[in-house]
This record gives sequence, structure tokens and C-alpha cells, in this order.
Amino acid sequence: MGKALAAVVIVVVLAAIGWTSAAYTVHQSEQAIILRFGEIEKTVSEPGLYFRYPIADEIVMYEKRILDLDPPPVKQLLTDKKTIEVDAYARYRIIDPLVFFQRVRTYNTLEDRFGKVVNAALQRVIAKVDLSILLSDNRDDIMQQITQEVEGQGGSFGIKIIDVRIGRTDLPPEISQNVYSRMSTDQERKARETRALGAEQAKIIRAKADRDRTILLAEAQRQAEILRGEGEAERNLILGDAYGRDPEFFDFYKSMQEYRKSLAGDGTTMVLTPDSDFFRFFGQETRK
Amino acid sequence: MPWSNQNGGGPWGGGGGGKGPWGGGGGQQPPDIEELLRRSQDRMKKIIPGGSAKLLLPLIVIFAAFVWIATGVYRVQEGERGLELTFGRWDNLETMPGLRINWPPPIGHTEIVNVQKSNRVDIGFRGGEAESRSRAAVRNIAQESLMLTGDQNIADIEVRIAWRIGDPARFLFNIQNPESTVKVAAESAMREVVGQTPFTDVVGEGRGLVEQNTLNLLQEILDSYETGVIIEDVQIQKSRPPAQVVDAFDDLQRAEQDKERLENEAQAYANSIVPEARGDAQRMIQEAEAYKEQQIQEAEGEAKRFLAVYDAYRVAPDVTRRRMYLEAISEVFGSAEKVIIDSDAGGTGVVPYLPLPELQKRRTTGKPAESQ
Repeated sequence: MGKALAAVVIVVVLAAIGWTSAAYTVHQSEQAIILRFGEIEKTVSEPGLYFRYPIADEIVMYEKRILDLDPPPVKQLLTDKKTIEVDAYARYRIIDPLVFFQRVRTYNTLEDRFGKVVNAALQRVIAKVDLSILLSDNRDDIMQQITQEVEGQGGSFGIKIIDVRIGRTDLPPEISQNVYSRMSTDQERKARETRALGAEQAKIIRAKADRDRTILLAEAQRQAEILRGEGEAERNLILGDAYGRDPEFFDFYKSMQEYRKSLAGDGTTMVLTPDSDFFRFFGQETRK
Repeated sequence: MPWSNQNGGGPWGGGGGGKGPWGGGGGQQPPDIEELLRRSQDRMKKIIPGGSAKLLLPLIVIFAAFVWIATGVYRVQEGERGLELTFGRWDNLETMPGLRINWPPPIGHTEIVNVQKSNRVDIGFRGGEAESRSRAAVRNIAQESLMLTGDQNIADIEVRIAWRIGDPARFLFNIQNPESTVKVAAESAMREVVGQTPFTDVVGEGRGLVEQNTLNLLQEILDSYETGVIIEDVQIQKSRPPAQVVDAFDDLQRAEQDKERLENEAQAYANSIVPEARGDAQRMIQEAEAYKEQQIQEAEGEAKRFLAVYDAYRVAPDVTRRRMYLEAISEVFGSAEKVIIDSDAGGTGVVPYLPLPELQKRRTTGKPAESQ
């Protein structure tokens, strides 16, 4: 191995080490703080290639993108004495990495400390409303209010709050149970009412049908009686006209007919006195 | 000494470590390079080959540089976009599908993003086709799926949200966890919309509106975060009363069917009796008409008969009258049993001896005094 080759190799290796320890890139989505012997030297917020003093300078990278902050759910008593469990979440961005570094240093610490701020604001705001408001169009206003309360405190952490939103809004189990039983009884009431309405309708339909039938039959009866009456009247007119021509003969003629009709035939036993009405003509004729 | 397409000072390393491959692949002898280096050391500090010295070293350097640059070549598939970064900085370089080149690795870096793929976020359940090979069953996540409705009831809702990347740069550089952000925002939006909708609409016909409102609100939220996400679809998979009250709701359904059944039965009854009554009514009227006609016809017949007899009678009244009388009497008396009791002797004295059956018979069959 020649000395020259060794020298070249050494130079190259040193250059490589120098490069990697001095040069650093800041990604599009990042920002950096440079610490020189632990002291804050500067912040780098634009992406690109940068150099530092090896060993002396330490780089702390932070996200420049929007980050999540999801504090644990909180219980809060509302003005209508209902306790609810609310889960809020916030979106934020680190706008001042220096302050962020000094105040909390890590995301977890921020989550812990600022999460409490968010939850406190959340509780303050929703303690003033009742559930129906929380569920109404005003939900948006409530979230705005919380965001506003929290926004002011974001600066001291070096962050900007984009917004705070309410996620889950749940009733605690015992209240949920009440809601379920209310829903059940409500349904039962409706079911009963529906069945009753069905029975009502059925009865109305049946009654109407019965009425229709009765009326139909009564009308028919009326018409039938009229027709029968007309028939009988006509009969009387016709017969009256005919018999009226000689009432005396009619009397005789009809009597003869009736005698035949009622008395003729076998098995008739007649117990008569000679002067009964039946023998009116008999007597008259024999006496002549 | 392994020689790979290294990065980071590639050309230098290639030049420095060129001994191995050059010795193996080139077929030249090691002493030559030592000689060369010795000579070059005489002239310059570094690699400037001497006139008669081999041109191999620069060639190797050029080749290595070429290989290095070639590692900057990348391919963007259909439906994807490439975002080229130089030293971590993005200068609005977005590339369309095809074969592209960026600065090679330590300098350049390319993010490739699929802007056509539809992604899914499920709220209230896990499973379905995506994970079907491991577990086909869809699991309900009660914690997510139970939502308070506008009238303070609780509904059990499962939603599937489809989204895709609309703006790759925003998606990559503006938000840390786009996927989880979509999920959290979707849940928040869904609950907000459901919280403003009455229960019956949520589980009933209002679903479409809930879907539409959630989509709009969710898009609005995500736009406010500048996530570059486009919500394609919000689909309510299931929306029903919670398991605890499902029986009561089923019973209401049954009640509605019962109601319909009762009404149908009643209607069937009405449909059967009214026409029958109409038929009965017609029969009564027809019968009456028949009776009327019968009365008239009979009366006319009777009248005609009487008049005919009367006309004949008037020709010889006395004779005819006697003849008619005698004929009637003979007909009546001819077939009857006759008991004639003198009125002086009759009355109470004889009647008790009359046989009762005979009287009974006469009463039932003879029909006395029906017409006068």
C-alpha cells in the first residue's frame, strides 16, 4: 500500500465525516432549533440544507405541520343536572419553536399540560349550557368559544390553536339506561296507541258497513212496501170497479165462491141449524 | 471489499476504493495503479492522471457519478404524483405519471402519493371486506357507534367514509396524521349532525340528509386544517335503535302491522256484507214488484171473470142465480158430512156429544172464516 493511496482514503473519510456531522437538512414539514453548548443559538424554519459546528451544535427538530392534541374525556355537570362525558380534541401548530422548547420541550409534555388547559376551558364553557343546547346548532358556537378561550393561552406554549372540536358527547351509563327505558316506554306507548287506532279504525269500518247494510235493507223494505201497497191499491180499484156494477150480485157471487172454497172437500162435518146465515138462500128458496 | 452503489461521497469513495473491482473486472495488474499513484503523487496531490497513465481512473469516476445520478430516476405510476424535494425543501415540483429524474439521494428525495386511491375510515364498526381474510364478521364498536340524537335519544350508527388525497403537498406537508385527523374529524362531524337531527330521521328517512350534511361539514373542517383531503362519500351502513331498546321498536313495527291487519279484516268484512245487503235489497224490491204485478194481474183476472159472469147473469138473472146457488150448494154438501140440528132442539144439548177429534180436524184443516 502506497502512502499516497492511504492519504487519499484518509482525506475522503475525513471529508465524509465532516460533511455528515456539519451538514443537515430541514425537511419541508419541519423546523429546527440549534443549541450551541446547550444555549439556544437560533431557529431554522425554512427547509433546506444547513451547516453547523460539529459537536458544539445540537439540533432539535419540531414538526411544522398541524398536530393533534387529544386530551382524555371529561365529565361535566350541565345546567339541566345531566352529567355528560365529553371528548374534545384540538389541532395546533408550533409557531414558535423556541418558546415551545423552553416551556414543554416534548409533545408529550404539551399533550399533558395543554390538554388540561383545553379540558378546563371545555368544562367552563359547557357548564353554562344544557344538553339540548349542546346537541343543537349552538354546538358550533360552543366549540368556537372554547377555541377562543384556549387560543390566548397557546402563545405562551409557542403554539397556535387551529381549533378545538367536541368529539364524543356521551351520557354516563346510568343516564343512558334512563334514556333507553324512556325510549322503550315511548315505543310501547306508540305501539299500544297504534294497536288501539287499528281497533278503532276496524270498528269504524265495520260499523259503517253495518249501517250501510241496514240502510240498504230499510230502503229496500220501504220501496217494497210501497210497491206492495200500489199493487193492492190497484187490485182494489180494479175489483171495486168490477164489483161496484152490482153490489148485490157481487154479494151472492162471492158468497158462492167462498162456500165452495171453504166448505168443499172431504171430511167436512157441518153442524148447522136451518135458520143459520148459511141457509139464508136455502130457506128463501125453499119457502118460495 | 464490497462495492455497491453507495451514496454520500459516492464518487470519492468510488475512486478511493476502486482497487478491488478494477483489479477483478479490468484484468489489470495491481502494480500499475500503485505506480500511477506514485506518479500522480509526484505531480499533484490528487487524481490527475499523467499523460501516458491510464485513463481508467477518471472513467471510473465518471461511471460512478453516472450510476449515482441514475439512482435519482424514479417512476410515477398512473394515479400517482411525485413530489420532488431538494435538501428537504419542496419547490412546488409536482410530477405526473411517467419516468422522472430528481437529484440523487442525499440531495434529492421524492415523495410519491396516490391521488386516485380511495381510502376508508369506519366509524362505529371494524371489519368488512378490508379485513375479511382474517375476520369476516363485522364488529360493532359501541363506544363509537352510539350517538346522541337531537331529541336526546340514542342511536346506533355505523358509517363508512371514503376519502382520497386531493392536494398531495398539503396532505404531506401540512398535517402530521392525516388519516387519524380524518377519522377524528369525521366522528366529530357525524356527532354534530346527528346531534341536530331527531331520532326518527336518523334511523329513518333522514339518513340521506345526515350523510350529506356530515359530508359537507367534514369537508369544511378538513379544509380548515388544509389537509388536502377530499371526502368522496359518507355512507351510513347501519342506523338503528340501540340493542337495549330494539325489542320495543320491533314491537312498534308489529303494532303497525297489527293495525293494518285489523283494518284489512274490517274492510274485508265491509266488502262482503255491503254487496250482500245490496243483493238482498234488490231481491226485496223485485219480490215486491212481483207481488204488485201479481195483485194487479189477479185482480184483473178476477174482475174480468166476475164481469163475464155478471154479463151472463143479467141476461137471465133469476134462473142464473138459482142455478149458481144450487151448483154451489151441491158441491159443498155433496162431499161434506152433514149434521143438521134444529135450532130449538140444538145448542147446548147436542154439542157435548160431538167427537172432539172431528172438531179439532175441522179447525186445523178446514181453515174456517179466513175470508168472508
